[in-house]
Amino acid sequence: MLRFIAQRLLVTALVIAVTSVVAFSLVHLTGDPAVAMAGENASPEDVEAIRKLYGFDRPIWEQYLTWVARFIAGDFGRSHYLKLGVGEVLAEHIPVTAMLGVLALGFALALSIPLGVVAALRPNTMIDRLALWIAVAGQALPSFLFALGLIYVFGVLLRWLPVSGDTTWRHFILPSVALGYYATPAIMRLTRSGMMETLQSDHVRTARAFGLSRWRVVVRHGLRHAIIPVVSLAAVQLGFMLGGSIVIETVFSLKGLGYLAWQSIQRADIEVIQAILLVIAAAYAVLTLVADILNAALDPRIRIG
Amino acid sequence: MAAMVSTAAPSVAALSPGRVALRRTLRHGSFWAGGGILLVILLAAILAPLLTPHDPTWQDLGKRLVPPVWDTRGSWEHPLGTDQLGRDYLARLIYGGRISLLIGFVTVLISGAIGTALGVAAGYWGGRVDLLINFILTIRLTLPVVLVALVVVALVGNSLTILMLVIGLLLWDRFTIVTRSATQQMASREFIVAAQAIGSSTGRILLKEILPNITGPLIVVASVELAHAILLEAALSFLGLGVQPPLFTWGLMIAEAKNQLFFRPWLIAIPGAALVALIFAINLLGDAVRDVTAPEGRA
Repeated sequence: MLRFIAQRLLVTALVIAVTSVVAFSLVHLTGDPAVAMAGENASPEDVEAIRKLYGFDRPIWEQYLTWVARFIAGDFGRSHYLKLGVGEVLAEHIPVTAMLGVLALGFALALSIPLGVVAALRPNTMIDRLALWIAVAGQALPSFLFALGLIYVFGVLLRWLPVSGDTTWRHFILPSVALGYYATPAIMRLTRSGMMETLQSDHVRTARAFGLSRWRVVVRHGLRHAIIPVVSLAAVQLGFMLGGSIVIETVFSLKGLGYLAWQSIQRADIEVIQAILLVIAAAYAVLTLVADILNAALDPRIRIG
Repeated sequence: MAAMVSTAAPSVAALSPGRVALRRTLRHGSFWAGGGILLVILLAAILAPLLTPHDPTWQDLGKRLVPPVWDTRGSWEHPLGTDQLGRDYLARLIYGGRISLLIGFVTVLISGAIGTALGVAAGYWGGRVDLLINFILTIRLTLPVVLVALVVVALVGNSLTILMLVIGLLLWDRFTIVTRSATQQMASREFIVAAQAIGSSTGRILLKEILPNITGPLIVVASVELAHAILLEAALSFLGLGVQPPLFTWGLMIAEAKNQLFFRPWLIAIPGAALVALIFAINLLGDAVRDVTAPEGRA
């Protein structure tokens, strides 16, 4: 197990290192950062001054190494638009996205696991079909459209919930539903197939034969085993949500990382953009690592085989 | 000899996998439903000028925000009303599908080529090649798609070509995952080993033996990614960094109508419904192909 973890840790470190190169080159090689930062009305002298000030005139690998060295030392750079340290800016926005991600995942699990279990208990019935249709419809609905629909129904028609901002917990309900819905098809399908497989296994049949209550059989002996792959899928889905929250955060004006990224892109705030790219990619890499380790811890076949 | 062939032919033909697949496809409900919707949308996009007398970019500022015909203030002159600049909404809806479909098909060609090449290579050679390609795949999955696309489009400058290239270069991951495992299953089969034994070139084995045998899963992924690409384009356009005016897509129409949500929700619902119908149709077709080519995996 320790060897497995060490190996996975090494791969994750390597992935984050390469991702940092990609994040850096995306921002520095796809355009002239000095021109982007100076804005449309800047004179050539202004552009030159910015280039000198931020060191864009130095070789690209030198700039990269300086950036990484500072990043490791805890200095994330400075936002030229906000005139603040990138570290402070991120610290302000990360909690909102983290909260949104966790709530969205919670919603997704609360909806998809019961649906998956019921679908597995009654395969090819109305309930099974309904669950499948919810999943299929979820895949066809663009997230921003679903978000606008939620705003219209719960914010405009019913006036139950606030639709913009992030000051109270009620502001997080609609965004979490909008974001979490996209994780439901995958989780539901995995729960369903896992449950169907487990319910046919010997130990569940034995538990039934012993006359245990149906609930006990399904939850203690069935779901406990079927849920193993769902745990790691959930961790990966959380990673996807952190990256995908940009659309939802923009629609609901939630001041999280995605909203910050969207604003920073429009302001050509390069230091912030590359920091966000790296943070989100690193979060995803770490979450996949957690998923792998959880999987191995819960299912001995993986770490031994 | 000739008589023998002719008597054997019908039963062999009836059993040929291609025929069986075709017959199963034609009996499949999802195929007809999905194909029907997709055909209507494709025809509407192609025949756009014949379907509406209006120019989708013509602005009639005296007739802004006319409601659709089912509203009491609507008229048949503009069946779906007009938008905030007085442009005919039906014309915009019909023409708007063009760019969405173009982006979808072109990006799937790009991402399919990249992803399949990587997947087949990883599956066929295995070992270090597989490790390397797997690592590249992990890196790709680690990068958040929407964010990377937004950054590149914003920094490189926005054009239709760049948009298609960016989306195509980002969405190859699923092609690689699926073709890799399909190729692995093929690589150990007798007919591949036989081809190797008679000295067929690697290129020939990959193109003539492996590729035709993984078309089933390939079509399924292509349908998923076609939907994915169209959704991504819509999301980018919605965020203001996708398709730029004077070009427009359903995603951009929704973005432009965002502020009308409270008073004129139909401006969002109409292009939204078109988008959902398109994605739904593509998904149905993909499901039909999956059922036909991999019946053992049928749920």
